[in-house]
Amino acid sequence: MIFPLLAAAPTYGLPAYLLLSAVLFALGFFGVLLRKNTLVIYMCLELMLLASTLALVAFAHFQGTLDGAVFVFFILTIAAAEVAVGLAIIVALFRKRHTIQVEELNHLKH
Amino acid sequence: MSDTLFIILAVLTVASALLVVVNKNAVNAALGLLISLLGLAGLFVLLDAPLLAFVLLMVYAGAVVALFLFIIMLLDTTPGAAKPFKKMTIVASLVGAALLVSGICSLAKRAVLPAAPETIAVPSMKNYAEQLFTTYLLPVQVVGFMLLIAMLGVIVLSKKFDQTEGAK
Amino acid sequence: MHSMLNHAILILVLPLASAAVIALFLRQRGALASWLSVATAGAIAAISIIMLLHGERNFPHASWEWLRFGDFAVSLGIKYDDLAALMLFIVGFVGFLIHVFSLGYMHDDPARARFFGGLSIFMFSMIGIVLADNLFMIFIFWELVGFSSWLLINHYHHKQSAADASKKAFIVNRVGDFGFLLGIIMCYWLNGTVSFDELAHRAANGHLVFSTAIPLLLFCGAVGKSAQMPLQVWLPDAMEGPTPVSALIHAATMVAAGIFMLCRINVLMVADALTVIMWTGTVTALYAALCAITQRDIKKVLAYSTLSQLGYMVAAFGLGSLAAPVALREPNGTVLGMTDVAIAAGVGAAMFHLTTHAFFKALMFLGSGSVIHGCHHEQDIFKMGGLRSKMPVTFLTFTIGVLAIIGMPFLAGFFSKDAILYLAMEKNHAVFAILALTAVLTSFYMVRLWKITFFGEARSKEASHAHESGFVMTLPLIILAVLSVAGGYSGVFGKLAGSIHELVPEAEGSAHTTILLVSLAVMTIGAGSAWFFYQASAHDTLEEKSAGLFRLLGQLKESFDNLYDYYVAKVQQRFAMLLNFLDRVFLADTIIQGAARIVGYIGLGARALYTGSLHVYVYWFLLGAVVLWAFATGLF
Repeated sequence: MIFPLLAAAPTYGLPAYLLLSAVLFALGFFGVLLRKNTLVIYMCLELMLLASTLALVAFAHFQGTLDGAVFVFFILTIAAAEVAVGLAIIVALFRKRHTIQVEELNHLKH
Repeated sequence: MSDTLFIILAVLTVASALLVVVNKNAVNAALGLLISLLGLAGLFVLLDAPLLAFVLLMVYAGAVVALFLFIIMLLDTTPGAAKPFKKMTIVASLVGAALLVSGICSLAKRAVLPAAPETIAVPSMKNYAEQLFTTYLLPVQVVGFMLLIAMLGVIVLSKKFDQTEGAK
Repeated sequence: MHSMLNHAILILVLPLASAAVIALFLRQRGALASWLSVATAGAIAAISIIMLLHGERNFPHASWEWLRFGDFAVSLGIKYDDLAALMLFIVGFVGFLIHVFSLGYMHDDPARARFFGGLSIFMFSMIGIVLADNLFMIFIFWELVGFSSWLLINHYHHKQSAADASKKAFIVNRVGDFGFLLGIIMCYWLNGTVSFDELAHRAANGHLVFSTAIPLLLFCGAVGKSAQMPLQVWLPDAMEGPTPVSALIHAATMVAAGIFMLCRINVLMVADALTVIMWTGTVTALYAALCAITQRDIKKVLAYSTLSQLGYMVAAFGLGSLAAPVALREPNGTVLGMTDVAIAAGVGAAMFHLTTHAFFKALMFLGSGSVIHGCHHEQDIFKMGGLRSKMPVTFLTFTIGVLAIIGMPFLAGFFSKDAILYLAMEKNHAVFAILALTAVLTSFYMVRLWKITFFGEARSKEASHAHESGFVMTLPLIILAVLSVAGGYSGVFGKLAGSIHELVPEAEGSAHTTILLVSLAVMTIGAGSAWFFYQASAHDTLEEKSAGLFRLLGQLKESFDNLYDYYVAKVQQRFAMLLNFLDRVFLADTIIQGAARIVGYIGLGARALYTGSLHVYVYWFLLGAVVLWAFATGLF
């Protein structure tokens, strides 16, 4: 199976990286859709973010500019802050509802 | 050589991402995330951004995933009964899959991607610093404030919660 | 500088200021309010006389634009020509005398301040009509006059009959005013202007658009305000107001406003419209005279008499123009010869009769007020009697008034009535015959009233204890009596009316003799038969002798009211209920609440989006991403 991949693109250029990024993003998205554990959903969100950072770095590399790479710094920072706050919320939620299964967290239902 | 590396790292990343999505156990999922981070860091190195790879490992793998594991351990996560997938979920998944496929196809057929320059310079830390402190100075400052606010937010969230717990 | 223009503006503003002061500060202080109002009326009378004698007419630049909507502008202005001068004098002078009379008559009334405030507002509105220079301005003050009339008729508002009467007056006037407004709009539409000067200018240049509809619609206003058929029903009921109100508004001035307005729009008249106007006036005159014969209330008799005389004036106006010999003059003044020129004799005759009628009708109403006051508010003439000796001044002045109205030679009414009869004889013999018959009836019922009220024995306790009214009330009577005698002579009327005097038709030669004979004959027949027929007893002699005829005449009055009642109850009320139903079901329920319901449903729909499930939110997110994708790839 590897040989066709090796033969198709001698040096893997931008399209390959973008394809990889798309696949990761899709996987993350499916995870958000399909999982019921809030923490795992959160992890899949992080996966989506990572996919976008990969795409950015790939573009930065193949265009010779640095902007994409620098932007990754910001993404990382924000992701970290977001995780911190989000997990604090999840912990608070758990203490109140004693569950982190998403279907049971429906008290905002009309 | 780099091609082989790329393939190995790519397969690793995708496989561990699949692990995150599929595995029932939350701890396993967290570890899957960790491994995909490793793969991603390797890909960054392949893309001549070693600084970013290190930062990724330190921040993400070191802090974020650790935090995740910590919280997973803290919360008593007994997996609930596996309910069958709702129809809506299946439809949404299919739509997502279709989007993915169509995206890739359009990318393959019609994307006019820039040609790679002949010699690709490896940026050093100095280049990053130059960009961060001149062109992107404002975002850096804003992100600093945002971190402060996030920190405050977390403190408030946990503190308030403790008080009500104590009152009970 | 046009100091007379300033006088005109002052004369308009003074009564408004008086009314405002009374309404704001003097509600409880009746005496002060009455003095303020009387002083204002005096000032108005004085200024009107000054303006009249000064001789300046037709001020230039006396018009100010008030509202503007694109091409259309409503302006307010002052038009002071001979017609306005005459009318202003009548309104001011007679108004002043009535104000003085009210000082005595309303002395014991607790709501005196409201009364005098109402009188002041009325003076303001009436002067506004007189001085108006365009139809819109007349309309504004027309409505104001209607309001003042409502206010004053409703003075004894605790009486249900007074409240009903004031409402009736206002509503019936409104019906006429609707036609009036349509006429004004049509005039503006066809001619592009409603200013009298402009219209006259265009008529002189031959650019005026004539249409039968315009004068007829404008006449509707006069039908309402001057109580012609079929809108005459409000005037007898309006006697519910205090007697000075009846004298001022419903005899001398307001009801004459209709005639005044007709004279103002004389330039728009066409022959067909004039015919309609003439017949309306004639029929009203006859009808009212027939109704007056059976009335018991002294004020109601006078009210029907007013209706009848108004009919005379309207008929006179409708009779239109006459060819009269006028001296042809060279520019330096030498007379070349005589030529026949068409003069607006209708205007002349109507205004002449309006003037004399104002004098003697106000006199008679004030006289009846004095009688009512003396008999402690008894108004039934069959409960009076023997007042000749007890109230001599009132008796004397009232007699002069009666003689004036029936056309005794050498009194004012004789000259004006003759002018109308002459005009009728020249133009339309049928109208002449009916007007002559009406004159007979006028003499008949007036002498009936006079005899039963003042002669014979006192028929009730109040009448036997009657006493003459105070000087404050008798002085106006005396002054008006003098005017009723002198007001018809050329010397007096010529001074008052200026160029209008030249428009009054003067009979010459054989026609003069015919008219003289006819008027003497009608007067003698009517007066004589009434004097000998009616006995000064407690019962109506006609009722005793011929009950059927009496009842028939009484029915004349009732029939109109019954007709209107039927119309209102059966037709209008049902239509109103249908509209109410449509309004409630269609407008309120379907459209308004329906709109609210739609909003409610939208709210419910939006609410349904709030499932607590995170996954559903992600699906929506995916949908958004799909739409964005489609948009980006150019599917939309």
